[in-house]
Amino acid sequence: MKQFVKLVRPYMVWLVVMVIVPLLLIVLYSVTTGGNDLVNIQFTLDNFKKMTEPIYVAVFVKSFQLGLISVGICLVAGYILAYLITLFSERVQGLLILFVTIPMWINTLLRTYAWICLLSDNGIINTVLGLFGIEPVSMMYTDFAVILGLVSDLLPFMVIPIHTSLCKIDHSLHEAAMDLGANRFQTFWRVTFKLSIPGVLNGIIMTFLLSISTFVIPKLLGGGQYMLIGNLVETQFISVGDWNFGSAISVILAFIILIAITCMKRIDKEEIEEE
Amino acid sequence: MKKRGWVRTIGLLSGITLMTGLLAGCGASNKPILKVYSAGEYLDTSLLSVFEQENNCKVIYETFDSNESMYTKLQSGETYDILVPSDYMIERLILEDSLQPVDWSLLSQAGGLDQEILGKEFDPDNTYSVPFFYGSVGILYDTTVVDEADLADGWELLRNEKYAGDIYMYDSERDSFMIALKALGYSMNTTSTEEIDAAYDWLIEQRNIMNPVYAGDDVIDNMISGNKAMAVVYSGDAAYIISENEDLAYFVPEEGTNVWQDAMVITKDCTQTELAHAYIDFMLETDHAYANTIEVGYTSPVTEARNRAVEDAFAGNAAYLPDLTREKDEVFRYQEQSVREYFADLWTKVKAAN
Repeated sequence: MKQFVKLVRPYMVWLVVMVIVPLLLIVLYSVTTGGNDLVNIQFTLDNFKKMTEPIYVAVFVKSFQLGLISVGICLVAGYILAYLITLFSERVQGLLILFVTIPMWINTLLRTYAWICLLSDNGIINTVLGLFGIEPVSMMYTDFAVILGLVSDLLPFMVIPIHTSLCKIDHSLHEAAMDLGANRFQTFWRVTFKLSIPGVLNGIIMTFLLSISTFVIPKLLGGGQYMLIGNLVETQFISVGDWNFGSAISVILAFIILIAITCMKRIDKEEIEEE
Repeated sequence: MKKRGWVRTIGLLSGITLMTGLLAGCGASNKPILKVYSAGEYLDTSLLSVFEQENNCKVIYETFDSNESMYTKLQSGETYDILVPSDYMIERLILEDSLQPVDWSLLSQAGGLDQEILGKEFDPDNTYSVPFFYGSVGILYDTTVVDEADLADGWELLRNEKYAGDIYMYDSERDSFMIALKALGYSMNTTSTEEIDAAYDWLIEQRNIMNPVYAGDDVIDNMISGNKAMAVVYSGDAAYIISENEDLAYFVPEEGTNVWQDAMVITKDCTQTELAHAYIDFMLETDHAYANTIEVGYTSPVTEARNRAVEDAFAGNAAYLPDLTREKDEVFRYQEQSVREYFADLWTKVKAAN
C-alpha cells in the first residue's frame, strides 16, 4: 500500500485550506478586537472575559441542560427502538432502519415548520383538542417545544449506532448467559447492554454535539428570546456583527465539546479493557 | 423596514447560488445581470420578470431579514447593484462611501414621488436614495381583548401586567430600544449611556414581568389567527394583518415613534448604472408601485399609487397611512461605532436574559 501514500496529499491540502485555516481564523478573531476585516487588530482577552458575565454563563448552563435532556430522551427512546428493531429478521430490519432515516431526507427547516403547524396555538393539535372541548394549550415558545423538536431531529443519530452495535452481538452469548442461569434482565444488562456501549457512546456524542450547537430549532420553536449557545453565536455573526465575541463563544464551545468527547472516549476504553 | 423570513432568504440564496452557478457554467446567457438586495417579501415579484423582458436583462433578487444582516453580508465581500435598506443604514453607507449618487435626470417617473417623503435628514438632498416604502412602528392590538382605556398607557401598555404572556415584541435591536427610550421620554437617537442603561433596564424588567415573545415575521400569521393580545409591528404589516383580521386595530403611542423610510440606493460596486436607474424608475411607475403596495401593505411614496390603495384595497384601514406630522416622532440616525457597540452589547443581553 506504500505506493498510494502520495494520493493522500490532495486531501492534506484540502484539510489545511478548508479546516485548519478557518479554525485558526476563528481563534485569531477570538483573541483580538478591531472589527471584522482584520486590518488593524489588537490582541486582547476581553472577548473571553465577557463570557464570564452571569447572563452568558446562564446561556451556557441552559444550553447544556437542554442538550442533556434531549440526549437523555433520545437515549431511552432510541435504545428501545433500536432493540425492538433487532428482534426482526434481517430483511425487515433493513427496512425499519430505512424508516428511521426517512425524516432525514427532508430538510430540518421543513420538519421544524411542520412542528410549528402542529404545536401553534391554532395548530392541528389544539384544533383536535378543541373538537373534544378541551381548552387550547400553549405549546409554542416553550422548553417543551424546543426539546420535542430537538429529539425528533436527533433520534436517528442515536438509533443507528446503537442498532449497529446490537446487531454485532453474537446471539450465542445470550444463550450462554441463559444456560449459566442468568435471568432475562441479567442477560440484557450484563451481556447485551454492556456489549452495545460503544454504540451508545457514539450515539450520545453525536446527539450531544448536534443539540449543543443547534440554532434553527430553538429559534423557530422557541422564539427570538430563546437563547442557546448556537443562537448567541448566530446573533453575534449575523445581526450584531461582533465576530470577535462570536468567535470567542465558538472557541469556548469547541473546547468544552473536546473535553466531553475525551471523557466519553475514556469511558469507552475502560469498558473495553474491563472485558 | 426589514422583513419576513430569513428562512426564505436561505432558501432563495441557495436557489440563486445554484442558478448563477449553472448560468456561469454553461455561459449561455450574455444578458446583463442586475443584483438587487432587499428586505424579504417586499415587492410583487411578478414585476421582476416584466422588468427582465422589457430590458432584456436578468435580475438576481436576494432578500435579507434585517439591515444589520444586510450590512454583515456586504462586509463579507458580497456585491450588489441595488440595495433597499432603511434610513439609518443608508446614512451609514453614505458616510462609509459605499454608495454612488443617483442621477435623477434618468428617472422619468420621479415627479410622481410625494415631496413630503423626500429630503429627510439621513440624505437631505436625496443625492443617494430614492424612497421605496415608508411607515411607522406601533402596537397592533386585539380590540376584543385589550381595554381601550389601557391605550392611554402609551408604550407602557407593553408592560401592563394584565397582558402578561400575551404580547409579541419585534425582534429588532433598534426598534426595541426605541420603544423603551420613548416610553422613558428620551430621544431614540440618544447617545447618553445613562439613558441607554435606563432603556436596557426597562426592557429587562419587561422581560421579567411580561415574558414577551420576540417574534420575527411569524408575528404576521400569529396575529391574523389572534394568538396574542398585542404585538409591536411596522405600520405596513399592521395594514396587511388588519385587512385579514378585522378584530385588530393599530395605534401609535403619543410618546412618539420611529417614522422610517426604506429607499433604493445604488452601490459603488454597480457597473450597470443605466440598468440600475431603469430598475429604480420602473419601481416608481404608478402601476408598479401600486402592485407593490397592494402586495405587501406598506405605504408607497408614489402619491398616485398610494391614493389608489387608500381608495380601494386599504379603504378605512388607518394603519396604511401613517401620520407624519406628530411632533415627538423621529427618524433613526447614524450611530457612532462606540454607541453602536454599546447598544449591540446590551441587546445581546436583553435577548439572552432568561
